[in-house]
Amino acid sequence: MRGLGLAGVVLVLLALVYLLGDKSAALVNQAVVTGTLLGGVYALVSMGLTLIFGVLGIVNFAQGTMLTLSMYAAYVLVTSLGLNVYLATLLLVPLLFGLGYLVQLLLLNRLMSEGETEGQLLVTLGLSLLIANGLLLAFGGQPKSITAPVGGNLRFLGAVASVPRVIAFVGAIVLALALTAVLQRTRLGLSIRAVAANGQGAAMVGVNVKRVFAVTFGLGAACVGAAGGLVLPFFSLTPSTGEQFTILAFVIVVLGGLGSVTGAVLGGLAIGLLQTVGGLFVPGTGALLLVFAVFVVVLFVRPQGLFGSDL
Amino acid sequence: MSSRRKTLAVLAVAGLALAGCSSSGGTSNSTSGSGSGGASGETITVGSIHPLTGALAGAGQLMQDATEMAAADINAAGGIKGLSGAQLKIASGDSQGKAETGQSEAQRLTQSGAVALVGTYQSDVTKNVASVAERSQVPLVIDVAVDDSILAQGYKYSFRIQPNATGMGTSGADDLAGIGEQGGSPIKTVSYIHIQGAFGDSVFTAFKKEAEAKGITIAKEVAYDSGSLNDAATQVAQAAAPKPDAIVVTGYYPDSLLIAKSIAALKPDVKAVYGIANGGFDDDSFPGAAGAAGNGLLSANYHYDATSARVKDIRTRFEAKYGKPMETAAMLSYQAVEVVAAGLDKSGSKDPKKLRDAISALELSDPLLAFDGPIKFDETGQNTNATVIVMQIQGGKVEQVYPQKFKTVDLKFPAKPGAS
Repeated sequence: MRGLGLAGVVLVLLALVYLLGDKSAALVNQAVVTGTLLGGVYALVSMGLTLIFGVLGIVNFAQGTMLTLSMYAAYVLVTSLGLNVYLATLLLVPLLFGLGYLVQLLLLNRLMSEGETEGQLLVTLGLSLLIANGLLLAFGGQPKSITAPVGGNLRFLGAVASVPRVIAFVGAIVLALALTAVLQRTRLGLSIRAVAANGQGAAMVGVNVKRVFAVTFGLGAACVGAAGGLVLPFFSLTPSTGEQFTILAFVIVVLGGLGSVTGAVLGGLAIGLLQTVGGLFVPGTGALLLVFAVFVVVLFVRPQGLFGSDL
Repeated sequence: MSSRRKTLAVLAVAGLALAGCSSSGGTSNSTSGSGSGGASGETITVGSIHPLTGALAGAGQLMQDATEMAAADINAAGGIKGLSGAQLKIASGDSQGKAETGQSEAQRLTQSGAVALVGTYQSDVTKNVASVAERSQVPLVIDVAVDDSILAQGYKYSFRIQPNATGMGTSGADDLAGIGEQGGSPIKTVSYIHIQGAFGDSVFTAFKKEAEAKGITIAKEVAYDSGSLNDAATQVAQAAAPKPDAIVVTGYYPDSLLIAKSIAALKPDVKAVYGIANGGFDDDSFPGAAGAAGNGLLSANYHYDATSARVKDIRTRFEAKYGKPMETAAMLSYQAVEVVAAGLDKSGSKDPKKLRDAISALELSDPLLAFDGPIKFDETGQNTNATVIVMQIQGGKVEQVYPQKFKTVDLKFPAKPGAS
């Protein structure tokens, strides 16, 4: 329902842009297509963050660098082993899941029991520095990129959408559906939701809370695993590539509501559209300011986020 | 719990926004300088400040390597002759790409006895380092940093080898007009896509002034924010809408790659896509990364002189030693150390003030970059003979095409973007 509401608001705003915006329709079409596809990328990065944030209450500063790590892993699989990048993506999901699982189990779980948040913040920040500088050491800072196995562009209504970006968008939707299915339909999902709602209560009825924490962080990391492979064909890769997404991902997650996968997807799309369509009217950094303005307004009007407590 | 998380989230966003997305580095490579020594077998320390960690570490490390190689080459050739063969030693500082860190590194290096500084790759870092150089009266030879305002402070101790932003915008416009005339298909209108901030704005302003004087009108100006450019299709569509003769692009590497790919996808009907002071179009790794989207792209930039035998030798040895091609930025770092060495040789003293006077009166022929004449500084410290040349991606390689005297292959014009 709330999804329809948000979609309605977005459609009305878009209609206003078309009717009163004083821009050619082809230009707005392009902005809408670009923004939607960009929103898919944002959703990919935000989905994992919303789980980690919503269930564990951990502000994962390393989400962006974990994305970079996964992109480099994909890069190595593609350039050294000659794998198709989308095949590599399938391998990255379990790999990053394992990494996330271990990080939570070995590092963060120790801090969780003491009930403090500062320690976790520092650990994830440290992890992000460690990954970024480790990548710098291993690969240097020169931009790297791969050639996408499928190229070309789709055209409609005068707008152009590059095929790898469309694939990433479809990947984001598939991932969101899969994640929702896991959370809503499986025993594991039930325990995750139970832990998110009331950790102590869940522990009392026999849920292994620490394991659920580890699995959740693993799932969050698996999402950037998928994201890394899906976005590599159209981004040039440096050790700091992923960091630019961290801020926006936090905005999207809070906007969408902590722990809500639907919120992350729709929030991502809304921010993507706001950035590109808004960018037609305000130059340069103005588009980003627009995003933060909306963020502040939403926090003010609906502090729990658009899809808060939806898990 | 929930409200606490919310507070954390807001704090996190605010903190990250303040940090400006820049990755902060870990270690700083430091070699302490030794300013004192005996008369013979003396060592003279030159401070080198570059971003060795953070987003720009790749280029920064190459530049640092180039300063080491220049010092080694000078030492191997007998050291500083004016100082009875004194040997050069590079003390390196890591700016981490941040202005304040660059400044503290400059202080550390000058206090520990560096007689001169070279660096720093970024305009805002260089601005801060130049102010330290001025206060401590130690010469700074800027290898890369384009912003005009660095030398507009009336500083006496800062020198720049490369053209400044205004110079690049102006000669970029001249060359674009020249290319149109030479190809028999004059450029009348352009759209300009540029990065927001001092760098992009000043190049654009200078271009606009010179272009309009040559009868070229600006059909559309599109400024973008580098930190949040993840897809350039909208920017390119905006630039293409007024159907200009050419699209001009000023920006960093990742942005330029996105822009080139979007241009190839949208196929605007233009005669040329032309970079000015562009961080991507003439980078040796760009043709590979852009694929077909790179074909025919033109780029007006300062560049190592590919027609010079000395440059070829340095590049070959650099690549053999460090395993990476020596980009123009690294060549400028090498040249900056040569400028310091020539100054030391001429002054016959390692007193920074005398070194400053010697550098300001230098006339260094056979520059490593494609320039109009010897390296020679005006009263503001700007190299008066610094110019841009035009390059073009042809057959998967960056070639020099204009003007005639620096060309390695013939210019292809009109050059439809993305056409093979």
